[in-house]
Amino acid sequence: MHFAPLPYLDPGSGSFLIQLLIAAALGMGIALRASWSRIKGWFGSKPKADEDDDDTIK
Amino acid sequence: MTTQLNNHGQLSASFRDPSGFLFSVNGVLYRQVNRKYENEYVRLMESGLYEKLVKAGVLIPHSEADEAAAESDVSYKVIQPERVPFISYPYEWSFGQLKEAALTTLSIQKRALKLGMSLKDASAYNIQFVRGKATLIDTLSFEIYKEGQPWVAYRQFCQHFLAPLALMALKDVRLNQLLRVYIDGVPLDLASELLPWNTRFNFGLLTHIHLHAGAQKKYAGEEVKSRGGSMSLQAMTGLIESLVSTIKKLEWKPGGTEWGNYYDITNYSDAAFEHKKKLVGEWTKRLQPNLAWDLGANNGVFSRVVSESGTPVISFDIDPTAVEQNYRQVKTEKNERLLPLLLDLTNPSPSIGWANRERDSFGERGPADLALALAVIHHLAISNNVPLPQLADFFAETARWLVIEFVPKSDSQVKKLLASREDIFPTYTREGFEAAFRDRFEIHEAVDVNESERTLYLMEVL
Repeated sequence: MHFAPLPYLDPGSGSFLIQLLIAAALGMGIALRASWSRIKGWFGSKPKADEDDDDTIK
Repeated sequence: MTTQLNNHGQLSASFRDPSGFLFSVNGVLYRQVNRKYENEYVRLMESGLYEKLVKAGVLIPHSEADEAAAESDVSYKVIQPERVPFISYPYEWSFGQLKEAALTTLSIQKRALKLGMSLKDASAYNIQFVRGKATLIDTLSFEIYKEGQPWVAYRQFCQHFLAPLALMALKDVRLNQLLRVYIDGVPLDLASELLPWNTRFNFGLLTHIHLHAGAQKKYAGEEVKSRGGSMSLQAMTGLIESLVSTIKKLEWKPGGTEWGNYYDITNYSDAAFEHKKKLVGEWTKRLQPNLAWDLGANNGVFSRVVSESGTPVISFDIDPTAVEQNYRQVKTEKNERLLPLLLDLTNPSPSIGWANRERDSFGERGPADLALALAVIHHLAISNNVPLPQLADFFAETARWLVIEFVPKSDSQVKKLLASREDIFPTYTREGFEAAFRDRFEIHEAVDVNESERTLYLMEVL
């Protein structure tokens, strides 16, 4: 454990790598969701609109 | 406003950005866009992203200005952003305000990605509350998105928003004060250590904070490029969605209840309360100030009297519960003229950052045209032991006009304060108060509040 930032060690590398890992897993989730809503679409259910396409945010 | 300038006339909060910087000429604020940033600026304006974000009220509007550039050799354009009436900082925001700022940042990132851009910063300091809404004020925060690149602002987002929100919601709401110490956000190893152990069962917090902190430690100093790896747009969208849902699930309820009522525990009669409201309303209408500060505003009852008479008001209080309630009420009323903020008057926000010049102190953001100090003098003079002449000095530096309530020792609230301490305040009388304040102010009105022992004053600084 260290209590002061170590001067030459950049926490950026870890942030970069963990981000790739998390994003890869979550991106797969999104792909699955997209295919699932396409399958649901065949049976007539409408996909939900993305709230960020609205011009107002709460 | 005495916003700090460095030797080159640039505003010192924006010195880090190679894309451009803020500068001020005759009190008008400009932003120089450097040639280095030309492509990004053109893309922002021509892709429709600027228009979309401004229309949604989440990006500060600007106009292109004819003003000569401050550093013409590198300048591409000079723009004039709309001026923000009062700059506030994340350590002055309630839980709900920080959450709104976080969700607005993510929403901007989602919209940007759809139009081929991405936020290169996710600093909480780039967000300000304008017309009651969290708004991005740094027009130069966007870069052109190249598929495969990760989100460069991911770490900053976690430190500035996710970590403090999780700590506030799941540990203690006062931990937002860590932002006053750590100007680039709460270090993730610290957040990971402070958060309750069971937050590891929350997928979002497990990954974005605990594993993130672990990865930072494990890979510190390693060259990442050699490891390759890229991130599809779909993966990036997944990352942003995950941050959105993690933050949306974080909740903090003020005082455990939705609307605790503060004024139930005061000694005010309805008549006294209404009389005070009437006086504050009349005096504000008479003065027509550009901006008022309500110091010790509680949940903002008197701030609302000021805002209803047309004056924008900053509603400061020390209590995170009161500020959160005030903020929620602002949202319900869609009040565009009232900004609740967290402030300890006995230890107001200092100037912080590089050379103590990046973020202005409370005092440097004043003086206000009008300050209200209702039912606070006894807390400052008796609980905090500040002599009356020093209180007069403080208020004289804080505002041009002052509405201040004197609460005498015979008042039941003051009796409560004195019950637990020795009375070492012989000059704390109406006469002593007036004598001390006359040194710095001209007293225009002194009205005894109906059905109370208190007096309300209207004063102008000498």
